[in-house]
Amino acid sequence: MKLSLGAILAIWLSGLQFIAVLSVVSFYFVSSERVLLDHATTLIGEVGRGSTEHSKGFLEPAIRATKLAKRLIESDIVDNNSAEQLEKLLFQQMQVVPQLSGIYYGDDQGNFVYVMRSEKHADFRTKLVKRNNGFISTELIWRDENYNVTRRTTDPTDKFDPRVRPWYIDAKDKRSFIWTAPYIFFSSQSPGITAATPITSASNQFEGVIGVDIEIEEISRFLSGLDIGSSGVAMALSSDRDVIAHPNSNFIRETDQANTLKFVKIDQIEDLVAREAFGNLPNFDQVAAEQEIEAEFKYNDGKYASILIPGSNHDLPWSIAIYAPLSDFIGGIEKNRTRNIWIAMFIAMITGLIGLKIANKINQPIRDFAIRAGHVASGNVSKSNASSQTYPELEEVSETLASEIAQRKTFERIYGLTFSLTSRGMAQISPNDGHFIRVNQQLADTLGYTLKEMADLSIFDILHPEDVDSYLSFQKTLFEDYEYNQEKRYIRKNGEIIWLQVNAFLIRDNKGEPMYAVATIDDRTAQKKAETKINELSRDLSHFARVNMMGQMAEGLAHELNQPLTSITQNVDAALLTLKDLPDADPELIEILNDMDRQAHHGAEIIRALRGLVRKDEGEKSQFDINELLDQTLQLLKPEANELEISIALKAQDIPLVFGNRVQVAQVIMNLTRNAIEAVEASGVSERDITIKTKPQKKFIEIHVIDTGPGIDPDVDLFAQFESSKRDGMGLGLSLSRTLIEANGGKVWYEPKTKGRSRFCFTIPVAVIS
Amino acid sequence: MFRMEDFTIYIIDDEEDIRTSLTRSLTKRGYKVESFSSADSFLETYNRTISGCLLLDYGMPEMNGLELQNKLIEMEISIPIIFMTGHGGIPQSVQAIKAGAIDFLEKPFQQKVLLKAIDTAFEQAISFNEDIESANALKAKFETLTAREKEIAEFIVQNPADTSSKNIGRQLDVSPRTVDHHRARVLEKMDVTSVAELIEKAIKSDLFS
Repeated sequence: MKLSLGAILAIWLSGLQFIAVLSVVSFYFVSSERVLLDHATTLIGEVGRGSTEHSKGFLEPAIRATKLAKRLIESDIVDNNSAEQLEKLLFQQMQVVPQLSGIYYGDDQGNFVYVMRSEKHADFRTKLVKRNNGFISTELIWRDENYNVTRRTTDPTDKFDPRVRPWYIDAKDKRSFIWTAPYIFFSSQSPGITAATPITSASNQFEGVIGVDIEIEEISRFLSGLDIGSSGVAMALSSDRDVIAHPNSNFIRETDQANTLKFVKIDQIEDLVAREAFGNLPNFDQVAAEQEIEAEFKYNDGKYASILIPGSNHDLPWSIAIYAPLSDFIGGIEKNRTRNIWIAMFIAMITGLIGLKIANKINQPIRDFAIRAGHVASGNVSKSNASSQTYPELEEVSETLASEIAQRKTFERIYGLTFSLTSRGMAQISPNDGHFIRVNQQLADTLGYTLKEMADLSIFDILHPEDVDSYLSFQKTLFEDYEYNQEKRYIRKNGEIIWLQVNAFLIRDNKGEPMYAVATIDDRTAQKKAETKINELSRDLSHFARVNMMGQMAEGLAHELNQPLTSITQNVDAALLTLKDLPDADPELIEILNDMDRQAHHGAEIIRALRGLVRKDEGEKSQFDINELLDQTLQLLKPEANELEISIALKAQDIPLVFGNRVQVAQVIMNLTRNAIEAVEASGVSERDITIKTKPQKKFIEIHVIDTGPGIDPDVDLFAQFESSKRDGMGLGLSLSRTLIEANGGKVWYEPKTKGRSRFCFTIPVAVIS
Repeated sequence: MFRMEDFTIYIIDDEEDIRTSLTRSLTKRGYKVESFSSADSFLETYNRTISGCLLLDYGMPEMNGLELQNKLIEMEISIPIIFMTGHGGIPQSVQAIKAGAIDFLEKPFQQKVLLKAIDTAFEQAISFNEDIESANALKAKFETLTAREKEIAEFIVQNPADTSSKNIGRQLDVSPRTVDHHRARVLEKMDVTSVAELIEKAIKSDLFS
């Protein structure tokens, strides 16, 4: 599709505006989004690290308490064999460090001192388990904050053995400070964790383990209080992938089949985003060994950022995991973006409209020019409609165009007039594929098509099937710049065959490239048909003449010879009868006469046989137009007459069809006319003309052949065979003519000379219309 | 009784040699012969009371044999014709025979063929003669009938399909008995034995043409 200049200008102007505004908005959005996202990541990271620090700070006093107790025992300031001293030491630590929910010491004999906070009876409770030669005693002591005993009791059923506890085994095995896996305290149902450290003697002998229990509910509280965006979440994960702290503390506990409480695994937590963010980490130990892991992910069409800060890097028994939806950070500008796009579109529309206006303004002179060019092209060359607003370049082009078109119009008009007014068929033909570029009405009529139909045709559509290759010669002749001039058969729309005389030459453009062939075309069908008919007649006549002249001659000879033979036989018969009357007739004479009779008959037999050899061509009779036949026959004689400067005129009347053998009648016309030509030529008269007339009678048509020759000697029997008034004539012509005319039911006669003209006449019966 | 002396052969041929030789041989055989060089000269001298036959050449200038035959038919002259031709044209011979010619002889012909044709012509001439005589006789008898008898006789011959007395009576407005009476008289006077014979003879001799 071709766009007008106006449209192009408008589209480009408004389109470019739109694209410019849109790119500014988009760039602004993308860059600010990036900044905010970076900021979000940093924020999350810092929150994570802060949480880690907080965790460390939370655990530090407990660790310190453990280490202090260890130091005091190992430096023998506190005797670890003395339950009283140990209890006091542990009690003091409990008072100092509020994070501790319990502190205890177990030795390798199975003795156990345990101080814990209590809610019943007093603030603290001590459990003492003593093993002595297989005897186990368990004492429970409640004390207030001033170390005064408020209650004392024993529990013989409690046979607690610290040596089988995990914290004991682990610390003993590792001989170093350890954290146990977080767990949930049975009594308070709060999450907690145990730290343990081994006690060794001066000789580095293992003596026991000090352990502390710390409730870490506080961590969950801390994490839930964090402000990470508006809805970010921070969690603590153990190395077993347990969620040990979460803002929603309900999420972290579950009851297993044995009805014991335990932590929820990260891939089973009800916080589905957390599950998506961290649930896929397969081996937490390995992950925890790595550096901080930052990630962005999608969940439920929402975009999130996450970070995992492994605790092992900070001597923490858990890792901190944080995720936050990105919309918390960039939601604002995303809203802005949509608004900005609308603003961009609005601005683009406004500027587009302005662009259109400007385009229109620029385009106006060009449009005026186009209109003017149209006027000029249609022949309306005037300066009156020149626009007030224009460009000098356009003005120049306009002038040139106008004069060019005026010139071409004149030429076109002359050519077009010639093309359509000529009485001959004319066509412009493509020299490459032969299709008709333009034809005039005359050619279309000749071929039986409408002008519209002709436009879809090529010369191949009208070529006679046997002449299809003649197009090659057409092309070749034209391309060699010769004139093509051929008479050939073509096919009309209705299938009729017509003869066209095609005369064509090639028109080339100013580069010498072939443009089209101009052809003038004449319908030669009628002439061709007449020629064909005359040729046929000529052929028939010469065949007829050959056969019939022989027949006629044989016939004539037979007749002429039979007469004397008949006389001979009759005379012989008379002689024999005469001889028989004589008394002394010579028998030999009778024999001679008999022989003569027999020989005369033998001669007649030979003649009969000869006649049989040359059969007369009887021919078929039909209805035909005698005028037409006269015309055709005279055409055959014209060359002969012209050579002798004798004119032949046919004065035909409108007459009915006749019935007879066409070729035989033609032969008679031929004979009589030729006789007339010869008579005129032989006479040497100054008036050298022959007239043929047709004249209707009742049941016959009379044909008169009138010449200015000398006429016929009345002594000559004209129509007898072998009689001729011509020196070299055989006397067969008129006799044959008579035979032929009579065979066709007509008569032939001679009318003697009157007014210097003699005439031979014959009749042919009129065809009876059945 | 018809005799050979009453029978003339008319030779018409434009060729003099033919006329001479034919006249010679036929005269020798005892025939009465007259010869003419053209159809016209024959017609000029022909006397229709003398019976005979024509020995006619087909191909002659002016009036040819076939034209003469037609002319004779036109003139109601019944004379047997034997054609001779030097051409042997089949179509013409057919036409001639159709028009009543006895034969169409191709020149030169065997004498016995000619003589046989002449014999046929002679017999035909006799028969022509007899026909004429019997017709004349029948006519003479008819003239002896009364007017009413003539009327009845004519009615019978013209209406051979229904010759009952009743029908004749109704048509002629007389009683069947009267018809019976007259019819008996007619048969007697006309010298015939039955109505059928009367009809046959009357038609043959063209009594009521």
